Amino acid sequence: MAHEAFPVEVLTPEGLVFDEEVEMVSTRTGVGSIGIRARHQPLLGMLDPTELRLYRGESDIVRFAQGEGYVQVADGRVLLLVEEAVPPDDLDRGDLEDRLRRAEEAESSAEDDSEEQRRAQRDKRRAQAFLNIAGGG
Amino acid sequence: MSAKQADVKERISSVQNIRKITRAMEMVAAARLRRAEQRIEALRPYAAAIRRMTRQAAEAAGTEVGSLPVLKEHDKDEAVALLLITGDRGLAGAFNSQILRNGLRAATEHEREGRRVSFSAVGRRGVSSLEFRDSEVEGAYIGFTDRPAYADARNIAEDLISAYVDEKVDRVEIFYNGYVSALTQEVRHETLLPLQQATILEGSEGESEGAEESDSDPSHSALVEYEPDPGEILSRLVPDYVEISVYRALLESTASEHGARMTAMRSATENAGELIDDLTLEMNRARQAEITQEILEVVAGAEGLG
Repeated sequence: MAHEAFPVEVLTPEGLVFDEEVEMVSTRTGVGSIGIRARHQPLLGMLDPTELRLYRGESDIVRFAQGEGYVQVADGRVLLLVEEAVPPDDLDRGDLEDRLRRAEEAESSAEDDSEEQRRAQRDKRRAQAFLNIAGGG
Repeated sequence: MSAKQADVKERISSVQNIRKITRAMEMVAAARLRRAEQRIEALRPYAAAIRRMTRQAAEAAGTEVGSLPVLKEHDKDEAVALLLITGDRGLAGAFNSQILRNGLRAATEHEREGRRVSFSAVGRRGVSSLEFRDSEVEGAYIGFTDRPAYADARNIAEDLISAYVDEKVDRVEIFYNGYVSALTQEVRHETLLPLQQATILEGSEGESEGAEESDSDPSHSALVEYEPDPGEILSRLVPDYVEISVYRALLESTASEHGARMTAMRSATENAGELIDDLTLEMNRARQAEITQEILEVVAGAEGLG
């Protein structure tokens, strides 16, 4: 059975990458995985790097590797504001492995509980999440 | 043809080749400038949406944003980091040199007031000039000034934020070529950290869009769910302003670089044209002199016979 559709925008600093009606949005907030359907209650959430899935239909799914960002649900519309939204096919495994290694090195060389360390941890989480999306290469 | 004529002819053809190159560079710069302008435009809606969310989260959190580490001024004012945004390539008039000149002047000023100065630079030109001057370059960011990505800006911003929050520096200033138009670029000197509260809550850009959204602002209507709590969302939103400021500076600098190169190459093309005109005149004169000489010889010979 088809579900009610609602408008979704995915906006990045480099422009609008998605602006269509979908039946469901699946992503991840600072609290955990979240699925948003039509008539979701107003929400402001912080997004963590994950695979963003936009369900145009049961099996018609648009996927992005999504960086950090925010989600806002208001007036029946969903706005996803993300630093990066990369089509999974555009991910470069070698580059991501490089970034992961550099982040791990930075994490271990940084002072404990410094901003530098927290930053390395964020870089690491992002590289890991994108690597998972890139799949076995 | 005399040696002189051949020589001038060769010079004309080499100037013609140079003119072809400068004209091509001018056209490439013009095309890239248009793309860079579009990227500046593309950032506006994102920046405006971040601003709206920040207002909403700040209202819900009901806290003073001033307590966040990127906004808090340090008690000491001993170390300053200067970020100079230049380009990877030259041939763009005063584009690179004016950033270096302004940055170095500010550094001298800070040192005179007893602060330690550390440099970071974007672009090969800036990095190599600083290294040439034996200045230590804390962060060198190269290879993307033609087309900076948001990830580049985030990387730079996070280096600077870490240095500021970990109290390695007490202030971060940025120098870049602000984009006014294809013909006009101006050096901008801004304080990046501590982040100015006004940057967040007032803001000049995207306000028209903000006004249109204000009546549908969800914080005034229904009960809004926050994931996680608004204070935590706010503490991530605020550092985003630093990233956005760096990204905007990178984009403006890229547009300025293409604009400056376009102008520099246009005047180079015009100069080449003038040079070709002068040389052609010189060649014609040489040829005319030779013909006159030959006629004189013929006439003299005929007179000798008669």
